[in-house]
Amino acid sequence: MAVTVIGPGLGTEGGPRRARPAGRWQAARQALLREARRVVGAVIVVAFVVMAIVGPFLYPRHLGANANAVYAPPSLAHPLGTDFEGTDVLALLVVGARYVLVSAAVAGAIAVGLGALIGLVAGYLAGAVDWSLSRITDFALTIPQYPLLVVLAAVARFTSPLLIGVLLGVTSWAGLARAVRSQAFSLRERPYIEASRSLGLSTSHVIVKEMLPNIAPYVAMNLLVSMIGAIYLETGLFFLGVLPTNVSNWGVMLNLAVFSAGAIGSAQAVSYLLTPLIAILLLTLGIVFVLDAVDEFFNPRLRG
Amino acid sequence: MIEGRGLTKTFAGRGGLLGSAPVAALRKVDFVLPSGGAVSFIGESGCGKTTLGRILCGMEEADSGQLLFDGVDLTKLPRGKRLARLRRVQMVHQDPYSALNPTRTVRQVLEDPLRLRARQLGRGNDWVKNRAVELLGLVGLDPRYCLPQYPHTLSGGMRQRLVIARALSVDPEVLVADEAIAMIDVSLRLGILALLRQLRAELGVSVLFITHDVAAARYVGADGQLYVLYRGQVVEHGPVDAVIASPAHPYTQCLLSAIPVLRGLEEPGAEQLMPLAGLDVGHEPPGCLFADRCPQAEEDCTLSRPDLRDTGDRGHRHACLHPRLRQVVAQAHAGAT
Amino acid sequence: MRTSSADLPSPSTATAPPVTVPGEAGGAEIRGLVVVFGTPDGEMAAVNGVDLDLPLGTITGLVGESGSGKSTLALAMMNAVPKPGRIAAGSIRLPSVKDMTQLRGKALRLARGSALGYVFQASQNSLNPLKRIGAQLLDLGRAHGMEDKGVLLARARELCERMGLDPVRTLSAYQHELSGGMRQRVGIVFALILNPRVLVLDEPTTALDMISQRTVLDIVRDVHRDRHLATLIITHDIAIVADLADYLAVMYGGRVVEKGPTRHVLQSAAHPYTRGLIAAIPRISGDIEKARPLVGRPPDLLSIPRQGCVFRERCPLTIGRCSLEEPALVPVVKEPGGIFGESGDGAPGGHAAACHVTAPAGGDRSRS
Repeated sequence: MAVTVIGPGLGTEGGPRRARPAGRWQAARQALLREARRVVGAVIVVAFVVMAIVGPFLYPRHLGANANAVYAPPSLAHPLGTDFEGTDVLALLVVGARYVLVSAAVAGAIAVGLGALIGLVAGYLAGAVDWSLSRITDFALTIPQYPLLVVLAAVARFTSPLLIGVLLGVTSWAGLARAVRSQAFSLRERPYIEASRSLGLSTSHVIVKEMLPNIAPYVAMNLLVSMIGAIYLETGLFFLGVLPTNVSNWGVMLNLAVFSAGAIGSAQAVSYLLTPLIAILLLTLGIVFVLDAVDEFFNPRLRG
Repeated sequence: MIEGRGLTKTFAGRGGLLGSAPVAALRKVDFVLPSGGAVSFIGESGCGKTTLGRILCGMEEADSGQLLFDGVDLTKLPRGKRLARLRRVQMVHQDPYSALNPTRTVRQVLEDPLRLRARQLGRGNDWVKNRAVELLGLVGLDPRYCLPQYPHTLSGGMRQRLVIARALSVDPEVLVADEAIAMIDVSLRLGILALLRQLRAELGVSVLFITHDVAAARYVGADGQLYVLYRGQVVEHGPVDAVIASPAHPYTQCLLSAIPVLRGLEEPGAEQLMPLAGLDVGHEPPGCLFADRCPQAEEDCTLSRPDLRDTGDRGHRHACLHPRLRQVVAQAHAGAT
Repeated sequence: MRTSSADLPSPSTATAPPVTVPGEAGGAEIRGLVVVFGTPDGEMAAVNGVDLDLPLGTITGLVGESGSGKSTLALAMMNAVPKPGRIAAGSIRLPSVKDMTQLRGKALRLARGSALGYVFQASQNSLNPLKRIGAQLLDLGRAHGMEDKGVLLARARELCERMGLDPVRTLSAYQHELSGGMRQRVGIVFALILNPRVLVLDEPTTALDMISQRTVLDIVRDVHRDRHLATLIITHDIAIVADLADYLAVMYGGRVVEKGPTRHVLQSAAHPYTRGLIAAIPRISGDIEKARPLVGRPPDLLSIPRQGCVFRERCPLTIGRCSLEEPALVPVVKEPGGIFGESGDGAPGGHAAACHVTAPAGGDRSRS
């Protein structure tokens, strides 16, 4: 029996199998809606962002003091009570959110932007460029961040959240740069990167369009994690009183609660102390919950 | 036309069980790849065939020797000009899974290099879009389905077709196919081989086919030359069918003997040959490189290393001191297909 | 080469009850195996109603494309189907195990390795890169309650020598110090160290060059004979098993669509898929133009047709019935005066296929 000839000439493959890949927004929505806690996280983060944007417009520039309502317990007028001057704690929280979020966002963006860029360039170009960038990275890694900020605080005025954000950012990119560099080293040997090179695609194309998306989940995670880091670091600095307390933010609230109001020892300032603490915890929790969704969004292989 | 003359490449040893002796990947390799022609390199893993392909694509540089493109020696050109020239040689990788960026869609994979090409040709964005569709059609993929996909939704065969389409985006003169079908299901392999053949015929692309599968080499370039590499040395070369039908070097005979026989449809060759031991690239013998594994080695084989010499057949050369003709490949039954 | 086919038990078919030849009951026997995987669209069958006999002394080749269910079948033989998959029905009898699918926990762990030796697709991935080969062999023995190091090591040395490996060097090596072919042979040593009677090799030669492939296959043939094993080789490359296997089973879309003695299947393949696979192999001699690519792509779990013949979308012979009714695996009847000169009175050596066109069930057989 002769073997039947199957199909003429070239075998072709193809034909619809799965649905078309979703667009960016749809992918983001899918990633977010997959689990309830991701939605919770997103709601928390969005709530804080809205608070930071709108908050300062809701209250007068100078929150009024009220000597008759010092350390008032939570009530309808003051849902979270008042502080040692009788200022509404909720108002302080809302107004202080902008400072914390802006500085954290700026710090995160700078740290991650610098770290990813320097790591990718060093890892991809290798050789002399890598050597120079690596020495700069090593130097940045050895800068003691905390003492530096303490010293700088004596010189500069940290009334602007941008300034402290920049300072926190430029002192914390080096770790990520190191990690990204070693990933870039392995990426550059991948056949698809070699192919891009031999097709004549430019270095900037290869770094931004081919390599960056492959480490995007990692970079995005680091963005969120370094924002959390920046929040803790900055509120810590304000709490310790290293940075001036003439601005309104959560760290300053903590500092005043403990050192001025003695909230550790007396019960009356409890809500004044707990409010910024819980706000920091909530924001951190929200960011952590969103992390998985971000990972899935940037990783096409995880998108079902 | 591409010509390699005396291409030599040695890698520093990497340690391991065998110490860190340098490994010769290519030893004075000469070859000619005519325009629109096909040349196949066969050999075991570690014989240097991949290095040759990488040198041709500009991913590696030879230690010595010349690489001539239409008579121009690339090794003498400045780096920028050399790389631009080498762009006309494109690689089809062994592993279609790692040859495609998992974060880029099929559209992006094709349009990125096409935009470069459009700039060279002075074409616009429409040309890029049309050309992407055209290329997918050429390699047998459905553009409407494929363009928005990510590589991970495509089968191995489809990915390899996409890799070929990407290579074609810069209008190459040469495709280097390095084990291009090794990781693809057997049922889909012939489709890829047929595509390479079709590209030769329709676009006049030359193919440098690197493989351990001699039958695949025969399918893509039956009219071309076959080079047998052993530890970086060409030990036999000639027209594909001449080398398969009457291999002179015992190493070629071993390679051909190892091809599985479709019992029932084919009869195994009468005098099959197997090497005495596994490949050991650790030590550098003064004599024939294959002597330690050769079933028919004689005393003088370990003393002097033979160069390529004529077999008597035109264009069929081998490097063996004591060649013995054997019939090693399977023959198809007359009745069966 | 006719010897083996005469000893073969008649394989079960969808119409005939399984027959086991007395005295050859020592091999493995798979009956009605169904393996399903949970997907967003519900449970899908990756292996669907497979019957297969692996008698002692016989090498069986299981051929199929990726997605055909062949590797799932092999994992099911170890009762090691990964989640979200599970064995939904069927039984797997091994020489010392009544039904592998019923075992759990420690009994299952002990049965793996001692009742059935498994050589993984990529042996390098199944070896620990941080431990010497010998130490890993001892770990394996200890996990199976073999405390006598001496016996184990002696057995390992003997096996290494049998595989053409230097025992001292191999056992003291780390996996990265071995070549691909050597690792694959080490994989076979691991599979056989506990003396199982059934040996399963999943794509044993993928990523090996021709000579290493030939060496590994020769070794498989030799140890198979020496130890009188029941051997199953799983591959996508029909050429590999054509040289080695006594018996072939071709899988497509989770079903065995054709099976029979290797020579019969190769010479007179009945199923269009098998014919396509054979035609798609470029040959080393003869007319190269006769090779024909197989069109289309293999189905995956979600695109296996739920009704009718699983191959019909790629089939050149498809008829109306193919989309309605799934063909049963029935004996293939030779045409009178065929290559063997046999009369059309039965399937030679249990050659069976599942096709409405070339192997129609019931009556009307002479027109095949």
